Amino acid sequence: MTTATEPITEYRSWAVEEFRLEEEPYYVPVADEVEVFQAAWNSKIPVLLKGPTGCGKTRFVEYMAYHLNRPLAVVRDGKTEIEDESNLPLVTVACHEDLTASDLVGRYLLEGNETVWIDGPLTRAVKAGAICYLDEVVEARKDTTVLIHPLTDHRRILPVEKKSQLLQARDGFLLVISFNPGYQSALKDLKQSTRQRFVAVEFDYPPRETEAEIVQHESGCDYDVALNLAKMAEKIRNLREHGLAEGASTRLLIYAGRMIAEGVSPRRACQVSIVWPLTDDGEVQRSIEEVVSSIFED
Amino acid sequence: MTAQPVEEAREGLRQFPPALGQEFEGALEAVQPILEPDELGQWLSDGLDIARHSLRSWEAASEYFRASGLILEQITYDRMREWCAVGIDLMETSPALSGALFRASPAVLPHLSVPQANDWAAQGKSLYKGTWKSGSLSAQYFDVSPQILPHLPLSQMRLLVDLIDSLASHSYELASACLGMAPGVLSQLDRSDRAPFLEFGGIVAHTAWVDARVYFERGPSALRQVSEEQRPRYLSLAGQVAMQVGRLGHPYFIEAAQALSEVDKDIHQGLLELSEQLAGHSGDAAMEFLKSSPRVANRLGIDDIARWQEFGLQILQQSRDGGEAFFRLESARGEEVMEALSSRVDLDRVSELIRMYCKALTGVDVGVKASEELTAKGVGWVDESSPTTEGTTIYLPENVERYPTKDENFAVYKVFATHQAGRLEFGSFEYQSDLEPVHFPDGQNGAHTATQNGHGNGVAPAVVDGEETEIHTDMERFFDQFDDRRLAHDLFTIVEDTRIDTIVKREYAGVRRAFSRLQQAAIDRRRPVEDMPARQAMVENLLRASLDEIGRIRWPNELAEEMRTPLRILNRIRHEGATVQDSAAATALLYEWLSQIPNVELDSEDWSDFEQEMSGEPDSGEDSDMMPGSGSSGLEESFMPFMPGSEERPYDSPDPVDFRGDFKPELVQLLMKLKGETGSGDAPPIPLSKEQLQELLEKSVEISINELMDMDLAESSGMFLDNLLKEVNQIQGERQEGQQAMGDDSTGAEDGEELPVEAASFYYDEWDFRAADYKPRWCRVQEQRGESGTTNYYTETLHEHTQLVQETRKQFEMLRPELFRKMKRLTDGEDYDLDAVIEWYTEKIAGGASETKLFYRRNKVERDVAVAFLLDVSASTDEEIQKHHDQRQDDQFDDDPRKYLSWWAQRRAEAARHPGKRIIDLEKEAVVLLIEALETIGDKYGVYGFSGYGRDNVEFFVYKDMDEPFGDRIKERIDKIAPVRSTRMGPAIRHCIWKLQNTDAKVKILMLLSDGRPQDHGYGRDRTEKEYAIHDTKMALTEARREGMVPFALTVDRAGHDYLKQMCQDMAYEVVADIESLPRRLPALYRRLTG
Repeated sequence: MTTATEPITEYRSWAVEEFRLEEEPYYVPVADEVEVFQAAWNSKIPVLLKGPTGCGKTRFVEYMAYHLNRPLAVVRDGKTEIEDESNLPLVTVACHEDLTASDLVGRYLLEGNETVWIDGPLTRAVKAGAICYLDEVVEARKDTTVLIHPLTDHRRILPVEKKSQLLQARDGFLLVISFNPGYQSALKDLKQSTRQRFVAVEFDYPPRETEAEIVQHESGCDYDVALNLAKMAEKIRNLREHGLAEGASTRLLIYAGRMIAEGVSPRRACQVSIVWPLTDDGEVQRSIEEVVSSIFED
Repeated sequence: MTAQPVEEAREGLRQFPPALGQEFEGALEAVQPILEPDELGQWLSDGLDIARHSLRSWEAASEYFRASGLILEQITYDRMREWCAVGIDLMETSPALSGALFRASPAVLPHLSVPQANDWAAQGKSLYKGTWKSGSLSAQYFDVSPQILPHLPLSQMRLLVDLIDSLASHSYELASACLGMAPGVLSQLDRSDRAPFLEFGGIVAHTAWVDARVYFERGPSALRQVSEEQRPRYLSLAGQVAMQVGRLGHPYFIEAAQALSEVDKDIHQGLLELSEQLAGHSGDAAMEFLKSSPRVANRLGIDDIARWQEFGLQILQQSRDGGEAFFRLESARGEEVMEALSSRVDLDRVSELIRMYCKALTGVDVGVKASEELTAKGVGWVDESSPTTEGTTIYLPENVERYPTKDENFAVYKVFATHQAGRLEFGSFEYQSDLEPVHFPDGQNGAHTATQNGHGNGVAPAVVDGEETEIHTDMERFFDQFDDRRLAHDLFTIVEDTRIDTIVKREYAGVRRAFSRLQQAAIDRRRPVEDMPARQAMVENLLRASLDEIGRIRWPNELAEEMRTPLRILNRIRHEGATVQDSAAATALLYEWLSQIPNVELDSEDWSDFEQEMSGEPDSGEDSDMMPGSGSSGLEESFMPFMPGSEERPYDSPDPVDFRGDFKPELVQLLMKLKGETGSGDAPPIPLSKEQLQELLEKSVEISINELMDMDLAESSGMFLDNLLKEVNQIQGERQEGQQAMGDDSTGAEDGEELPVEAASFYYDEWDFRAADYKPRWCRVQEQRGESGTTNYYTETLHEHTQLVQETRKQFEMLRPELFRKMKRLTDGEDYDLDAVIEWYTEKIAGGASETKLFYRRNKVERDVAVAFLLDVSASTDEEIQKHHDQRQDDQFDDDPRKYLSWWAQRRAEAARHPGKRIIDLEKEAVVLLIEALETIGDKYGVYGFSGYGRDNVEFFVYKDMDEPFGDRIKERIDKIAPVRSTRMGPAIRHCIWKLQNTDAKVKILMLLSDGRPQDHGYGRDRTEKEYAIHDTKMALTEARREGMVPFALTVDRAGHDYLKQMCQDMAYEVVADIESLPRRLPALYRRLTG
């Protein structure tokens, strides 16, 4: 979340719709994705982020949430006030296979002798005008994807069935979903009726030098090491669909970089943070290790 | 004086046939001059005594007379009497033998002393058993003695006689044949081998008498395969084994000798010692050990073989079968131990690893194969042991055994592969005449002729005809510019390899150490420079420099300056960012420099190591420094003082550097061009006439062709050309096939054509329960698509079972609502559970409610099932369920409707009486019904059949593959399910496991449907043994379970309980007692299994 440098001794908590990034997340644009996203947000078109795991989709959303400004007059508790917020709140929902519509929209809970309605994260985001980021949306149950349809077209409406309400999204609200076309089975593909409601931004791993820069920044290792890691990742990614389901992600490279920065030998660091997480297939492991040992001396 | 006894004798002989008289006269003539009168008398009376001895003894007398003269030429009369007494004694046994003895005597005498006569005769006599056959065998003994005794001392004759005697007890014909062969056989053997040979022969005669003839025929030549000194030892070992193994003894003898012939003779002694140790435990093991020795020795040195044998011996002591399998190399352990002991790395063990490694480095789909495969194609590459690439595949030597450990040897492979991958990754084959070099000034690209001809970019059109220039590759046109193609080629190779090695070492720091080690080794092997003529020495020095060994350059001090310029040029190629264009430019510069240097003997006292600093800073040189001619005008002049003779010597290419391997860029470009893989991408392959190519090749690949073989150039290039075209066509064919395969579903469905049914081979281990170990790669499973018939069968079956189909479909549909399971009483969930809320509220009002678990959640139980059905389509499924069924008589009604009617009526009546179904029909019906049911619930499924004969031909039919969509195709194939041959279940199950492994599902089921126990040729000790097959099948089912699959065996064999119990143990199985209920039973079972 925040790249806090000072030691944090206590946890902090936010209401989901109030969570804002206080510091600029580190993100290196690879192409025009920033401009595209900005344009989509301006014109209230939801965004679909496609790309392999660990290539920076989530970080990108955080980065955009931080940079999109929405100085607006809002009504809160009956009073009108000018919010001086400098960036958009970000509501992130990691989707899983048991995620239901109620989980997103909200439900009644019992409290003493009464029932209390609790908004779900999506409802909160709609009300707060936040970016709602549904990560790995295909993992969620089918009814949830239908739920977001009215939110994604011109209506920008969220029906809250249990309360017989319709919610009009506040300005600033933007639905962002991500999905990784690579690893899901055919069953888990996104339906056409859903995908055609979004503009899509495709992500791939950044080019070698950019990736090295990112790895260096995030892990604190030397640039030479980072460049070698990036080079190695490039080689490993050549094995995608040839023994490997997915290539080594930038995230894994960063882990490796941190390990190395902590003093673990490069070959060992790559083994524990790249080779072993990537695959269980002995032969593939061995070939990747050969690539590693070709690039790194002991 | 002597006349009277002679006359008396004549008189006496008259009562015998005249032939005897004639013989006598002849003998008399020979004997008379030698013998004293009293001796003559004696001789005469002996002869008469013999003749008169018994009815046919005159024949013996006749032999006696005939031999007498010849005997007396060799020994005195006294000795002769002594000798002949033996023969006369033999008269008592048989006059015929006696005759044979006399007949043989003259020829035998040179080899025997007179006192030995007794012994000799006694041996012959021992063969005589009083019968006619034994008599003639015994006589044969005397007849062949003269030919045998030169080879065999009488003392050893006993061995032969015993052998023959032993054979005679079985067959006189065989004994006689062997005795007849004996002289020839013995003469082929070394003196010291003869006795052991006969000793072993004796054992063979004893244990496997029918093999004796083969032994006599082939034994000597078999024995010659064994190292000379070791032959007696081998024979005695074979004897020891034969005593244990009986009939197998002789085949072992032949086979093991054959095996030894494939092994270095120096280690025969060691191998035999090891084998002898085993023979004490198991004769089979001892011989199997020898039979396996070529394969083992191929991998291990004799010391390691001893360790391997020791390991096997331990197993042997625990389990005979296990040990024997170990030495037969039929156990995984045997292979493993061998692999562990050997430091050699075999390509086939690491090729997949290297392939992925190279794929990772280059990003293209490279193959990795043995170099032999490329040379076998005959397309220009000739070295079987060096690494190379033709642009799509990296070829490596079959094995590496250079260093004492596996890791080091693997590192060698890695260097080989990295260098070849480097050529692909860093564009060694991407030379294009119109691209500019990076580190060399423009215009030097093809400097030499190009600049002179005024062609800007150095592209000198080699052939004037525009059409033909098109077919030339850029690389080739580049080489065409140089008068001395060989020199240009050598220089380009050095430069380009330098570039690749430099980049590789820069990019892959981790392999530097292994690289340097090989570089060092390479340079240590190089021939001394001092012996080479000037130009060649300079090339050699450049090559040394390219191996990073400036210090190993040897060059006359006085000419240091002349060496410095080329080194500077070479060094520039090491700059970052250098491309193959730079290599070409550098080659042109070097060529220009070197071509001015006369290739003559250098005479200098001052050869010395080239100093590092003398080569100058790699970067210091200005471009102009590298320009030939600009710094040192008249190179030739500077060499003049050091050239004693001006005789130009032929230029030889430098020795190749092993780890860099063959480099044939012009061929690679040509191949790529022919395959349509030029830089332009998907340009269609250029159709070339054979003539065009021929012309092209004669020029461009002369080097390769010359090396190819010493035949007429035109002929060899023609052959080369054929091979090349074949290679190209093959690749194009593959590509087209691939496209067809891809378009199979869309286009194929329309025309209904299927791709040819081609069997793909898979290899599986087999479990040997006796050895308690797997036999590695024991079975070959041939996967092929089932044949197609029509869809009628399928439709008819459905029709026939309309009722049942509907039932099962309904039952299966009922599986679906179960997909969602309501979980109640949760603290949180989808919604309130009304019952729970009411209950809670009531309790609350009653004043005691505390329950807060009021929610329910519908949990989606995802049905994620994959099932593989394995049908037994062995011949036994052909059996009818009711035996007395008549074959349906189709088509006997012609077109006559009346006949048809009567046929139809008859058939119906018959059908009513005899349903006449075979087991396979029921299997098919069951499959049809199940498919219908499965389609309703959407489980993934595959339908396979298996049969086959023998371990290398397990047929595996695919009726529907796991990922194949259901359709008419499948229906057509089901129609053609038919009984074939045997039942080798194990490998079929293993192949099914493999199929399921490649299918993504949470629940995987392997359903085996058979009609009886597993059996196949060689599936067990003999056809009747059941244990082996059952154990292997059981192990295969266990493997399935280990893989997380659910194996289920179903049999229609009523006797199935006994072996299924053993095969499945705690796994599920069912015996369908009422066979005809199978179509109904199978879907029900499946439902139960997955519900």
